[in-house]
Amino acid sequence: MAREEPDVEVLNEAISSALVFNDEVKDGGGVQITCFSEVVNDVALHFQILRLPKQIYVWIGCDSAKLGRIYAAAPTRPKDMISVTSILGGASDNTGAGIARRLVLKTGLNIILACNIPKNSPMLEADAEKMLVQKLIQLGYTRAKAEGSSS
Amino acid sequence: MDSSVPRFPVTYKSLSLDIKGNKTDVVLCSYDDHFLVIATQIGAMGTILHARKEEGVSIEPTFNVSAVFGKRDEPMLLACARQLIQDISISGSSKSLVISLGLKDHSAETLKGVVSAVIENRLW
Repeated sequence: MAREEPDVEVLNEAISSALVFNDEVKDGGGVQITCFSEVVNDVALHFQILRLPKQIYVWIGCDSAKLGRIYAAAPTRPKDMISVTSILGGASDNTGAGIARRLVLKTGLNIILACNIPKNSPMLEADAEKMLVQKLIQLGYTRAKAEGSSS
Repeated sequence: MDSSVPRFPVTYKSLSLDIKGNKTDVVLCSYDDHFLVIATQIGAMGTILHARKEEGVSIEPTFNVSAVFGKRDEPMLLACARQLIQDISISGSSKSLVISLGLKDHSAETLKGVVSAVIENRLW
C-alpha cells in the first residue's frame, strides 16, 4: 500500500490513544457508559454514569447493587432554578435528593439519579458527591461553568 | 493498583439498532432488586415506568405497571412494560423493572421492535 499520507496514520494513532483513557467507558452508539468503584472508610461506593445526548443517568451504589431511590433534577424556568422530584422511593428517605440538586447546580445538566446510600450518612453522601462531580468534570460532561477545566 | 477495590457489581449491556428508520439506543442493567431498561430515540430517557410482580394468593401472578415520570396516559408504553415484566417473571426472576422509553412514536411496530430487541439481549 502506498504510504503517501503518513499524517493520517499519525493522526489516527493520536486519536485512538486519546480515546483509551478510561477502560470502563463503553460506547454503544449515542450512549457512553462509565463505571468505577472506590472504597471510602471501608465502604465500597460504586458509580455508574450513563451519558445520553441530552440527559445523564447516574447510579450510586453503597456496598450493595440495589437500585435505590430515583430522583429527577433539572434547571427549570424562570432563572434556571433547580427542581428535584422523587420518582421511585424517597417517601420517607430522601437521601440523594440533595446530591441530585447539587449535581445540576454544579454541572448544569439534566440528571436522573438513582442512589442507595442509607439515610443519616452525610459524610458518605458528601464523599460520593465529590467523587461523582470530579468524574463528571474529568469526562468533560459538565456544561461550561466559570471554573470548569478545559479539555 | 489497589487490589481491595471491589469489582463493579452491576451487569449491563448497551446496543444500538434501527427501528422504523429511527436510531434507537438500548441499555439494559441488572441491579440486585431491579432491572433497568432504557430505550431512547430522542437523546433523553423520556417516560419512565415501573413494573412489578405482585405475589398474590392465586397461582397466577399479577403485575402492577405504572408510569412514574413523563407521559402518564400512553397505553402502548404500559403494554410494553407489561410484556417485559411478564417475560422477567416467566424466566424465574422476581425483580422489578424500571423502564424508560424515549421514543419518537408510540406505534405498535416501534414498541414491538423495542420489546424484541430487549428480549433478545435480556439479562434475565
